[in-house]
Amino acid sequence: MKETFLRFSLRQRLEHLSVMILFLVLAVTGFPQKFAGAAWAQTTIRLMGGVEIARFVHRLAGILFAVLTAVHLGTAIALVLSGKSRPSMVPGRKDFADAIKTLRYYLGLSDAEARFDRFDYRQKFEYWGLVMGGLLMVGTGLVLYMPLQVTSFLPGVVIPVAKVAHSNEGLMAFLVVITWHIYNAHLNPDVFPFDLTIFNGKISRHRMEHEHPLELARLAGERPHTEHEPELVHDGKDA
Amino acid sequence: MAPLLPVLLLAAAAASAPAPAVTPIEQEVDLCMSCHGDKDARVELPGGEKLPLFVDRAAFASSIHARDLRCTDCHAGMDEIPHPERNVKSTAEFHAGFRDACKACHFDKYALSQGGVHYKQFAMGNDAAPGCVDCHGAHDVFPAAKPRSRISDTCSGCHPDVADTYLKSVHGKAMADGNPDVPVCTDCHRAHDISDPRVESWIVKTPELCAHCHTDKTMMAKYGLSTAVVDTYLSDFHGVTSTLSRARGSSAERRAPVTALCIDCHGVHDITKTGDARSPVLRANLVKTCRKCHPDASESFPDAWLSHYEPSFAKTPLVYGVKIFYGVFIPFIIGGLVLQVLLHLWRVVVNR
Repeated sequence: MKETFLRFSLRQRLEHLSVMILFLVLAVTGFPQKFAGAAWAQTTIRLMGGVEIARFVHRLAGILFAVLTAVHLGTAIALVLSGKSRPSMVPGRKDFADAIKTLRYYLGLSDAEARFDRFDYRQKFEYWGLVMGGLLMVGTGLVLYMPLQVTSFLPGVVIPVAKVAHSNEGLMAFLVVITWHIYNAHLNPDVFPFDLTIFNGKISRHRMEHEHPLELARLAGERPHTEHEPELVHDGKDA
Repeated sequence: MAPLLPVLLLAAAAASAPAPAVTPIEQEVDLCMSCHGDKDARVELPGGEKLPLFVDRAAFASSIHARDLRCTDCHAGMDEIPHPERNVKSTAEFHAGFRDACKACHFDKYALSQGGVHYKQFAMGNDAAPGCVDCHGAHDVFPAAKPRSRISDTCSGCHPDVADTYLKSVHGKAMADGNPDVPVCTDCHRAHDISDPRVESWIVKTPELCAHCHTDKTMMAKYGLSTAVVDTYLSDFHGVTSTLSRARGSSAERRAPVTALCIDCHGVHDITKTGDARSPVLRANLVKTCRKCHPDASESFPDAWLSHYEPSFAKTPLVYGVKIFYGVFIPFIIGGLVLQVLLHLWRVVVNR
């Protein structure tokens, strides 16, 4: 039985691609400003044609990121409220239990592996980290973008507060991506060298069995698939 | 075309018996002074100007060159008497002929000055642009910086307004009181390789220039001044812009401020103590200073700037708190994630 599931819709794949590109652009135009004293930062800025251009691109990418975040959250909330999509990203008690179970398994204290539904606790953690961090970056970014307007109704100190938060949150997001996300999407032996699912939307039955057994069971039992739920994609041979 | 001066008393001077204490240099000076000691000696140039030929012997005798140089060391070719004819049309042209006179002994300074703004002015056809002797004197050459006030006196000859402003500044007043720590003109502008101070690539370097003294812990401790001023500036928005614009190094003239540099808030030649009632960086005056570039700045806008203070619990608890929060939070999160990655890898190895 060779079967492949459609895990992500085209819209979800495009959202990931957009956030990936914007994240890279924001990092490339942002870090040389944070580390302006370093030689590599000055070279990068020169290659981009100057700090004014880098800042323009950074702000443009930031606005697009804000729009993307708003569209994503708006759509997700609307889909969940209208019953067209399950709130599969909302963390629950099971996620904490899964985290502890997994750590015990890693440490060799237990041989029982946690069994996950559509998203495991690590994916939820990264998703909410991105959403919350993204909202913080958008908020502080807007403050830094319009300091004159902001200080017309808020005290001046919000500007340096926003700067420290924006700068550190950005650094943390970058570090999370280069450690956690790169590991989970590329270096993890389960998916090495490249987990293509977020780009082509497809996931194998084998991986579903290992990584999302509860979801697989639910699909087998009910098959109430919508555009946001995985659906069976037959490869044609034994359809 | 006129011979500069017919020397008539040559024979008489040469015939006088040399006294035992007279050195060869003095001998030559004696000879030249027999004509050039005449206060009224002049030669009319073809343009109509009368070029004075008088040399103040007393001034030369007290100069630093008196012991080691003869007249003809600088006035090459003038050892022939009568002097060879020269084709000089104006005083300016006559002076321009001496622009290279110091080169043979002071080649390093000569080479530096070739890159300087004064030489550039001369090369562009400005005959009034100063050469060596205009600052150092011709026959009355003295050490340029003894006393240090001599330097600003020298520059004030052509730049009187700026020199006057400087003398009223915190640096200028201290200089006049004999304080050796404060900068004089040449400490910022340099002496021979003076840059055009209107050019952007030079202006964006002012933080480095000020840092030279204002990050010197020993010197600043004497006056109770903070040495964090430069780092706090550089890490803020304006400082980042200045650092990154410096990388660009445009040689164009600065038309609009690239960003606020030290001088844009504190002033240039009119720098005051920060506590002075007239200081543009005094909190009461700061909004006005911000509005030079940000016309719409509100009364609370200047508080966006932490006044060169590092964030601290006492001064800015909110900024400090956020900074400390991330100082703990980032290592905690990243450390936790890396640990989980390592544990996973370890389990993968164990499973095999």
